[in-house]
Amino acid sequence: MKRNGLVFVALTIAILAMLAGGKYLDRARKHGPIKLVGKVQGLAAPDFTLVSLDGNKVKLSDYRGKAVLLNFWATWCPPCKVEMPWFEDLQKQYAKDGLVVLGVAMDDSKPDTIAKYASELGVNYPVLLGTDKVSDDYGDVQYLPTTFYIGRDGNIVDKMTGLLDRKDVEDAVRKALATAYKPVTAQQQNQAQVEQKAGAENTNR
Amino acid sequence: MNRTLSAVTLALLLCATLFAQGVFDKSPVEIAPVGKVQVKAGVSKDVNLDFRIGSEYHINSNKPNSPLLIPTVLKLNPETPLVVGDVKYPAGQDMSFPFTGNDKLNVYSGDFSIAAFLKAPANAKPGTYPVKGELRFQACDHSACFPPRTIPVQFDIIVVK
Repeated sequence: MKRNGLVFVALTIAILAMLAGGKYLDRARKHGPIKLVGKVQGLAAPDFTLVSLDGNKVKLSDYRGKAVLLNFWATWCPPCKVEMPWFEDLQKQYAKDGLVVLGVAMDDSKPDTIAKYASELGVNYPVLLGTDKVSDDYGDVQYLPTTFYIGRDGNIVDKMTGLLDRKDVEDAVRKALATAYKPVTAQQQNQAQVEQKAGAENTNR
Repeated sequence: MNRTLSAVTLALLLCATLFAQGVFDKSPVEIAPVGKVQVKAGVSKDVNLDFRIGSEYHINSNKPNSPLLIPTVLKLNPETPLVVGDVKYPAGQDMSFPFTGNDKLNVYSGDFSIAAFLKAPANAKPGTYPVKGELRFQACDHSACFPPRTIPVQFDIIVVK
């Protein structure tokens, strides 16, 4: 009888695990695995290529060596509107030190509407059109505003959700700017390519 | 021992079921159960739908102060031959929040009711007619906002002669 009970518990735990796994896999099938969950500081910022409001393709990894303030926002989010002029000021103030501000609009509005809204707030930094994939890659960004502060090495220095004080924002920018970047030399890049090619050949054999 | 194991098993099964149904993704807005609504054939009736917003949230009213803000909207699709007429929304409250400065947002918070005008034509056969629909809203708390979402609305209209 005792053994039956244990079997029941084990089966139930298995069912729970399968349901949780099924839910995760369903998301993963749609958008790829969720990369950022829990504590994100120190993790590599997932790379992406998004289209900006002016039609250019913007790739995050192109900014390696710079500190990036990556802000998820939407036109229907009044708190987001408070921060955006701060980001514009910080971009002006710290651009010379290597700060890049990127806005990601998680909006169903037309690009013209988003552009008009951003322009009225005095935003001149690139605003990118967000996708479900990038939202999922960054941990299912639902609560706006959400801002990631990415160091020069491409790793996340800080993540902030909700409207905070401007001082907190500036402190996080400084932390991101203080990160070191060790550029990959051409020789190291060639070596990495050779190793990658050798690895692929070994796998194919 | 067996009782404990059974209780644990039941609790885990319940958790699994709730998890599968997404019950833990709690909506900031919930609808109160709608009792049986009886309508005479050929007569119209206002059906009051009661909603409760979580204490830490507010949602835009049906007429928010900006065209960019997403209004609260109720859509109902009754089974033929029932017809939906006007939907009456309550007036929102003009409220300030830490993120609005001197501006005010027109919002609902706490409990609110929406009245939907439903009509059963004179030739409607007596019986139970399901009404399905949804409430679309966009919620924020004191420092951030959630994407627009919908919750299902469902009740029965009993048509009598």
